[in-house]
Amino acid sequence: MNANQFEAKNAEKWRHYDASMQSLEKGRADDQTDVAEIPKMVRERCIELSIARHRMYGQSMCEFLNQQVIRGHKMMARRSSSFVETALYFLAVGFPQAIRREWKLFVLCWAFFLIPAIGMWVSIYYDLDWVRSILGSDGMAGMDEMYGKGDNSKVSDFRGETGANFMMFSHYIHNNIGIDFQIIAGGALAGVGSLFILLMNGLGIGGSMAYVIEYGDPVKFFTFVSGHASYELTGMVVAGMAGMRIGLGILNPGRMTRGRALLESGKLGLPLIFGAFFLTFIAACVEGFWSAHDFAPNLKYAVGFAGWIALAIYFIFAGRGKREA
Amino acid sequence: MGNRSEIKKIDTLQSVELGDGVEILLRVAGPYVRSMALIIDYLIILGILILLGIATSFISIGANENIADGIMMISLFLLSWGYFAFFEGGKRSATPGKRSMGIRVIDRSGNAASRGQVFVRNILRYVDMLPGVPTGAAGIFIGGYGVGLTTCFLSKKFQRVGDFVANTVVVYDKPVDQMKASIPPALKKLAPPIALTREEQAAIVSFRERAGLWSEARRVELADHAAAITNAQGQLGKTRLLEMAHWLTEGK
Repeated sequence: MNANQFEAKNAEKWRHYDASMQSLEKGRADDQTDVAEIPKMVRERCIELSIARHRMYGQSMCEFLNQQVIRGHKMMARRSSSFVETALYFLAVGFPQAIRREWKLFVLCWAFFLIPAIGMWVSIYYDLDWVRSILGSDGMAGMDEMYGKGDNSKVSDFRGETGANFMMFSHYIHNNIGIDFQIIAGGALAGVGSLFILLMNGLGIGGSMAYVIEYGDPVKFFTFVSGHASYELTGMVVAGMAGMRIGLGILNPGRMTRGRALLESGKLGLPLIFGAFFLTFIAACVEGFWSAHDFAPNLKYAVGFAGWIALAIYFIFAGRGKREA
Repeated sequence: MGNRSEIKKIDTLQSVELGDGVEILLRVAGPYVRSMALIIDYLIILGILILLGIATSFISIGANENIADGIMMISLFLLSWGYFAFFEGGKRSATPGKRSMGIRVIDRSGNAASRGQVFVRNILRYVDMLPGVPTGAAGIFIGGYGVGLTTCFLSKKFQRVGDFVANTVVVYDKPVDQMKASIPPALKKLAPPIALTREEQAAIVSFRERAGLWSEARRVELADHAAAITNAQGQLGKTRLLEMAHWLTEGK
């Protein structure tokens, strides 16, 4: 049998296949298409492709059948799980499991954030220059303006304007989740980028906090930040973990090739990326719509404290004993 | 001809074995076509931003400045981190720019890439953009894609860093048009004097299939390379080669 005979023999089948595929590619099967027949048809194309290659029926026929197999494969190997279901299962099981699995990175990233932050705080009692050099004169003026002593204006005054809460919420989404994603991406530079951004954030946040405690009005500051600090800082640390997971694929591939290790670490880092996004999103909601409200300081501290407890319980107990997500 | 197994093919075809046991060939897209797609995408983003700017300035005049600012910032965030992931995670696995260039993102196994993979490759876009120009207040970061281009050239499958980590490749969605123009078959069939390998037979057959694209002098010049089996140079060699092609496809 030569190429032309082969083509003539199968032409009818190919036309039918093409019509079925076209209707499926539009999104739904039409009346002539029997969906149950599709796998059989695709396998027939696979066999014909092998035959055509073996008998060398020429470039064009092999290429045609190759395309038909790709087309059918695309249809058959589609994902079908629902997005909502996957997302809920991830939050209930996958994310806390990932945090527990990567607890060493959790500790490492917290250390890279907390040590510089505490260092800045301690340093202000000895020498203001450290904080001054980190915040700069603009930063210090900004902190004075927002959390300064004596001045009776409150964060909530500004938020009284229509739409101000929404505007700040958008700002936090744009800025904070953007920083998280930069931390994650920085991991691809052998982890250096992630750790650097964590460290700089530690210095900046520690410096601001120390400055307000010493020279500003700590109540103003802490009533504002207490509500969202837990989610936001943890979100940033989780982003650091994701970045480090990717970075370790380059630094410490173990017994795999670097390429393979990078790929595996991408898979392991994925839940952490989604988790960082989730936490920072919650933080932006709280920061936009709760933190600036003019409630009693003790209530706000209590809510902030409850946030930390809730996160700890979530990370320690959620999703235990479930199969791995 | 030396040892045949040592001859390395230089092409962008990526063979992938499917679960059905058959091998398919995917045509990997190179940096040029991908840059073109990227430029189109950035132009689309720019267009959206201009429209948004006009819309939000109306909102800020007519309604409220804060809401206008808020909408602008959310949109900037969604465009800079979500535009690519949204389209590549969708049914067509391609951004509008990629679609217009006829390429799409898939898993290296030939399956569709999952949303997670697409998300990872687009977060790491930030690294591939280095060295970049942070456009400050605009918030959208358009980089020089130096890292992405370098890793593309270093990898066999034109993968940038994001592709490596997410295990994805960018391939052509549509078959490339094979330039083909056969000339009329030779008048008689001639068996090759020695047993030829499959690749050699295929080369001879495709010589005939594509001969219509070349001038007579070029055909002769190419046929001269096969002088070892045709035992002749010039016009006669070309004729013999075509006769062998005829034998390979029709005869035996």
